[in-house]
Amino acid sequence: MKTTFKPNRGQFIGGGIAASAATFAGINVIAAPMKELVIGLNVPQTGSYSDQGADQLRAYALAIDEINAAGGVMGMKLKRSIGDDQTKASVATENARRMIERDGAIMITGGSSTGTAVAVSKICQEKKIIFMATLTHGDETTDESCHYHTFRRYNNAHMSARSMAQTLLTKYGTGRWFHITADYTWGHSVYDNLIEVLEPKGAKTIKNVLLPLGTTDFSSALSQAQAAKPDVLVITEFGKDMVNALNQAAQFGLTKSAKILVPLADEYMAKGTGDNFANVVTTAPFYWKYHAEKYPAAKKFVQAFIRRYGVPPSNGAENAYTDIYQWKSGIERSGSLDPAKFIAKMEGHKFTATKEPEYWRAFDHQGINSCLVMEGVPMAQRGAEYPAFAFAKVLEVHDGESVSIPQSTSKCKIETA
Amino acid sequence: MPGQLLDGFIRGLLYVAIALGLTIVFGMLRLVNFAHGAFYIIGAYVGLVVTEHVGLLAGIIAAPIAVALFAIAFDFALLRRFYDKEPTAQILVTFGVAIVVEETLRLIFTGTTRTYVVPAWVQGSLNLGFTQYPTYRIAFGLGVIVLVIAVWLFIQRTNYGLIVRAGVRDRTMVQLLGGNVRQASTVIFALGAALAGLVGAAASPIYSIDPGKGFEFLVPSFVVVVIGGLGSFWGAVLGGLLVGELQSLTTLFLPAASDLVIYVAMALVLLVKPSGLFGESEVIRG
Repeated sequence: MKTTFKPNRGQFIGGGIAASAATFAGINVIAAPMKELVIGLNVPQTGSYSDQGADQLRAYALAIDEINAAGGVMGMKLKRSIGDDQTKASVATENARRMIERDGAIMITGGSSTGTAVAVSKICQEKKIIFMATLTHGDETTDESCHYHTFRRYNNAHMSARSMAQTLLTKYGTGRWFHITADYTWGHSVYDNLIEVLEPKGAKTIKNVLLPLGTTDFSSALSQAQAAKPDVLVITEFGKDMVNALNQAAQFGLTKSAKILVPLADEYMAKGTGDNFANVVTTAPFYWKYHAEKYPAAKKFVQAFIRRYGVPPSNGAENAYTDIYQWKSGIERSGSLDPAKFIAKMEGHKFTATKEPEYWRAFDHQGINSCLVMEGVPMAQRGAEYPAFAFAKVLEVHDGESVSIPQSTSKCKIETA
Repeated sequence: MPGQLLDGFIRGLLYVAIALGLTIVFGMLRLVNFAHGAFYIIGAYVGLVVTEHVGLLAGIIAAPIAVALFAIAFDFALLRRFYDKEPTAQILVTFGVAIVVEETLRLIFTGTTRTYVVPAWVQGSLNLGFTQYPTYRIAFGLGVIVLVIAVWLFIQRTNYGLIVRAGVRDRTMVQLLGGNVRQASTVIFALGAALAGLVGAAASPIYSIDPGKGFEFLVPSFVVVVIGGLGSFWGAVLGGLLVGELQSLTTLFLPAASDLVIYVAMALVLLVKPSGLFGESEVIRG
């Protein structure tokens, strides 16, 4: 639901007169006790990453309704202000500004693109508003573009590449690698990390075709890939773009002639590609099937999600859900809505949510938690339980600490306020 | 390089197929149709439902029929009041209908990305000697060539085409001579819509679908039509092929500019020849 304050003419004039009178009389206006806390949910509802945005909104709604039913945050109910960022940095920034300035949001959350996350992080830093960045996987969000008011729990490209490296070399060998990469911050980040871990081991990069976000027809790049006869085709695309790229790669016969790597995937990308995702290696921070079997809190979340929406949550949805609870926890532990007090309580905070014990790293505000290396399984082997979403088997689980960017090489120069 | 040229040609034929209906409707009815993308996406969803229950070929046949019926209803209920109005009014009404269509599809199917479950032969590729290319794309390209010829013959050789072409020049005279311009206009509008619906269903084994896809295809189809010359039949064909080759070759040499290049091409064409490559409507001149 979009929360919009629409005063009628009388309220507007009355409010204006009262505000003017208070200003000119030099009165210190003390705000009435707050009954609601507005949080801004800034996700793509249209465009290439809209499936991921929609699933995050489902998770936000679940978390917010649960929290409100249990008495809210410090006795105050949560209210949503929702914006469609269209996976465009300019739109995401304007949404965040509107949420903060017009709707009075005290926290912004959302994402699906590192491009939008970096932009929203910047405006939140300017406005001194907490930004819980959800689905953003490029290193920048908590590396060179890190900010004091931003926290990101989702795995990043550095973690994915380090987690996958050994599996890739064992399963795919070194050989000749052809890359199709989304031409923006995230794609560049993933590509750079893969090159860093693969080329020193002998992998040869034949070509990297950078295509604009929102590309629907990958045939020209796939024609080049086919002519190059690579051993491995790396599709660093996300959302609908990846669905189109992989399905079209299958039509070109590339899923048979080459091994396929999709560095980051989620349940909706797997659903859109079906059997074409079989044997594809990928990474993710959360997989509903795996975590629900291992962790009671994950099971509870997955069951609640399925009960409400009829389908399991994607990994982005889990992140959105946990981010809301982490923010609530930070506010309650600090006993204040003051961002500085909240941040002090978050930095270094250890907690257990839907995974193994994890924590928020103080120097860059990156959430340190595990990274899964997974491999797609054919539809026929997925069983009867939500086969479209039960897309993979977990090959390895990497401890977050061991694959994260070390402080010694981090480019994060976080502000002190 | 030969593989890239073939890819550009097939990709261009896709653009031709999308732009054809748009240019016919403008050339013959003088109607700026912003609902063209909506016809594409209705066709894609009708195709999806029929393909899931019957099969891909049935879906490809059902889609244009369903979209033509929708277009006839749209024409009777609303659009014919706007044939003689200024383009702004036409744009507003067709744009409005496009939004209603998109949101209705979102209500029915949700916004989740859907893909066709297609027969195995769609997944295969053919070895052409110089390159290996997807069988379905080749079949699609051949289908578009047949379609272009069929539509051209329909416009040139049938009474409907004749009446509408004459009606654009002098509506009153055609009516005095006993020609039913209104009925012929509806047929042409339905034909343009059916073409978009057909492409929607036929292209969906290649591209995923979601309710917003109609608008995504509307933009390049306008670019193609503007490059070729608004309302020009052969302009749309040339414009489509040009855009396809430009995109494919740009992906080879400067892939990051593969989207941008079509807008640059449009700007250049407009600078040199503001009426587009084929200028005024070739269809009307017959």
